[in-house]
Amino acid sequence: MYSSIVRLQNTFGFFTTVAFVIAAFIAASDLIAPRTPSVGVIKPTNVQVVRGRPHYYSSKKEEYAIIKFSLDADLSSLFTWNTKQLFVYVTAEWPSAGGSGSGQNATNQAVIWDSIITAPSADHLANLGPIAMKKLKRSAQGKSIDPSRGKLSIKNQRPKYQITHPSGKVAEQEDVVLRVHYNVQPWVGFLTWNQDADFWKWKTLRNNLSKKFTLPAIKKKDEKKAGASN
Amino acid sequence: MADQILDQLRDLLEGQIDFEGQKLAELLVNVALTVVGVVAYFVGYFLQDIKLALYIALAGTAAVFVLVVPPWPFFNRHPVKWLPVGGVTPPANLVVDDKSFR
Repeated sequence: MYSSIVRLQNTFGFFTTVAFVIAAFIAASDLIAPRTPSVGVIKPTNVQVVRGRPHYYSSKKEEYAIIKFSLDADLSSLFTWNTKQLFVYVTAEWPSAGGSGSGQNATNQAVIWDSIITAPSADHLANLGPIAMKKLKRSAQGKSIDPSRGKLSIKNQRPKYQITHPSGKVAEQEDVVLRVHYNVQPWVGFLTWNQDADFWKWKTLRNNLSKKFTLPAIKKKDEKKAGASN
Repeated sequence: MADQILDQLRDLLEGQIDFEGQKLAELLVNVALTVVGVVAYFVGYFLQDIKLALYIALAGTAAVFVLVVPPWPFFNRHPVKWLPVGGVTPPANLVVDDKSFR
């Protein structure tokens, strides 16, 4: 503390300590914020299986399932001051024919749709064009957190990803279910998944599975059109 | 003349303070930064606004730098009183290593 340089160094050094401790307390404050997310509806609304190529120059043909779905969920309790963004995703999963001993995955699971929901404090990080960005920022003007963004009501949503299986066959697959997942990405602290068991004030995501359904047979190409070209 | 100005400039940049001032500066840094941190945390938590907490912490830290880094006069209120130069004359019969000093 003798000269200005020493005072500068010592002050900055203690500042880093204070910043670290406060960050730890902020991360810990997540634990006392209850998380009670719930899913109202998750169901497939329109399922198709088509044949296609994994990429343009591929000669291999694979079957792709296109699963449209509806989702109603209330994830608003996941938004606290330390929430940066919420990553919500829907997977389709089905058991392997041979079970776990067959050298295949015991359960096949593939993401069909995902979405990033930013908290107002992270709106400037959203990957949006200028007009959508302005709209997003205006939707939460003057609010530091906006739990209403966690209320999802999606009807007959097209999937982002068409899914297949390493074998290339998914048509007429039975016992397929849709599952809703989320990640909470905090400003400071650990990335947290939806957990399988209740953890103190954090409850599991209830009702996050759809009923079992069967993928349909491959959709025939438009037969009239095929007939006309022959 | 130039030497004098350079000396003054060096003193200003070096910013020396006395011992009591150093003790005070250390106390100020520890207390003020802790208070800033606690205030930033609780304001942020109760208003649920992490950006506000960040800005309070950064502004408070900047204020602490301004308070502590320059050699303000209140850090120099207890200057060390040195003995006067050449104030003590050696005794007349001083002998060191068999040599006598007049």
